[in-house]
Amino acid sequence: MPGRSPKVVVNEVSVTFESHGRSVTALDRISLQAQVGEFLCVVGPSGCGKSTLLRVLAGLVDPTGGQVRIEAERPGTPLTAMVFQEHALLPWRTVRDNVTFGLENRGVARAEREARAREMLAMVGLTRFAQHHPHQLSGGMKQRVGIARALATDPEVLLMDEPLAALDAQTRTIMQEELLRIWAALGKTVVYVTHSLEEALLLGDRIVLLTAHPGRVSQVYPVDLGRPRGLEVRGSPAYGVLLERIWSQLREEVVRAMADDRSGDA
Amino acid sequence: MKTIGRWLAEHWIALGSPIVSLIVWEWASATGVLREAFFPRPSTVLAHLVQLAADGTLWAHTARSLVRIGWAFALAAVFGVGIGLAMGLWRRLRDGLDPVFAVIYPIPSVLYLPLVSFLVPPGEIALIVTTAVTSFFLIAFTTTHGVRQIDRLVVEAAVHYGARGPRLFAAVLLPGALPFIFTGLRLGLGFALIVVVAVEIVSASRGLGALLWLSWQILKVEDMYATFFVIALLGAVLSHGLAALRARLLPWVPDVAER
Repeated sequence: MPGRSPKVVVNEVSVTFESHGRSVTALDRISLQAQVGEFLCVVGPSGCGKSTLLRVLAGLVDPTGGQVRIEAERPGTPLTAMVFQEHALLPWRTVRDNVTFGLENRGVARAEREARAREMLAMVGLTRFAQHHPHQLSGGMKQRVGIARALATDPEVLLMDEPLAALDAQTRTIMQEELLRIWAALGKTVVYVTHSLEEALLLGDRIVLLTAHPGRVSQVYPVDLGRPRGLEVRGSPAYGVLLERIWSQLREEVVRAMADDRSGDA
Repeated sequence: MKTIGRWLAEHWIALGSPIVSLIVWEWASATGVLREAFFPRPSTVLAHLVQLAADGTLWAHTARSLVRIGWAFALAAVFGVGIGLAMGLWRRLRDGLDPVFAVIYPIPSVLYLPLVSFLVPPGEIALIVTTAVTSFFLIAFTTTHGVRQIDRLVVEAAVHYGARGPRLFAAVLLPGALPFIFTGLRLGLGFALIVVVAVEIVSASRGLGALLWLSWQILKVEDMYATFFVIALLGAVLSHGLAALRARLLPWVPDVAER
């Protein structure tokens, strides 16, 4: 269960890109918090800056305004580790060496790295594939490696950028259950970006809904569906009510974003 | 036995076509369809090849050419990979060198010989440097492209997981470019053989190119064909050797075309 103290504090963060001489505002004064141990889902129409928000949290993009604070509890571990949408594994490294990559860069001793990799690969069920190369794995297995790579560094906050979007529907469902199991076991704070409302309702403690052009926080919804949660939650009345409520709002945002796109083309 | 049978079933055309060609050639030369003075029978050529090998002539010329190819290829590989990597990493260098390379590259390699002879001691060194030029360009081009085609998301992920500076280069950029570097090396090695023969025809008294040209000039046509055969064989061996090395060293590259 999430605690009461904030783990991630995003305060009035703006990001403006220069593109072809025009400045595009991807994020406009976004403020949000994730509590310690919380599974926070970020949902919004495409172009709302979900990925940009994660990249700001990961330190890959510097905000043009505002601040991000991540409360570090354990010195010596990285603040964030990201699971990328297209897995972004190093094709020339074996599964095990992909998982140890972050530890290698931090100068962790070999024996410890390998012990850690064994532990993480066992957790995602890939022990037998430690010596395989990514191209020999299915999409779902690659993403398991991506998750193991992130968890191996033992980050303060786990960032996930639509990690299941590229998978087929059945694999995605299995991976959602896996994620719930891993999250319950580790109790990490997670910021999870997805375009699937169903996925957010299944996984999240709260859902942050963003608007597009520019990206702003529209609403924050608590997901009071209880824990532990499994796929059966989709049959509960509360789930249906919440889905309907958030979707009516999200639908408005999507339609507006599409209209913006059309006028942008003209 | 079974695997050999299956292999034969799959490759009988590739195996059969040169054999059939040789038989037709043998028949054509024997019956006078082809003039035997210019197109000696393959069996005669083979006899001359054995003769050339037995008296040591062939080995001396082959060794000379191989040493030249070796030096030229080493030069081209070191400078080609080095400059190619630098061009891949730094846009300003690429912007500066690209137009220069684009102008120099299409010039037929042999024409560099006089130019190179002004710059370095004429003779053996000039010959090697000339041989290296085209291979250098090929290797530099493919290496630059190899660095540029690396998935940006992979690089971003590597940076996110703490790879910076020399570590980013050694663990991400270099291995990411390696498949292309190997393609460049294979092309470069092939061209080193082509150019060394051409340069030897023009300016050397030893080497396979020289042997070929001499055989032609004194109308020892059989020896000329024998040399042809050795050059072709050498090309095939070098190219396949490097391909095998690549498969061994880069196991992560999916087998797109196993040839």
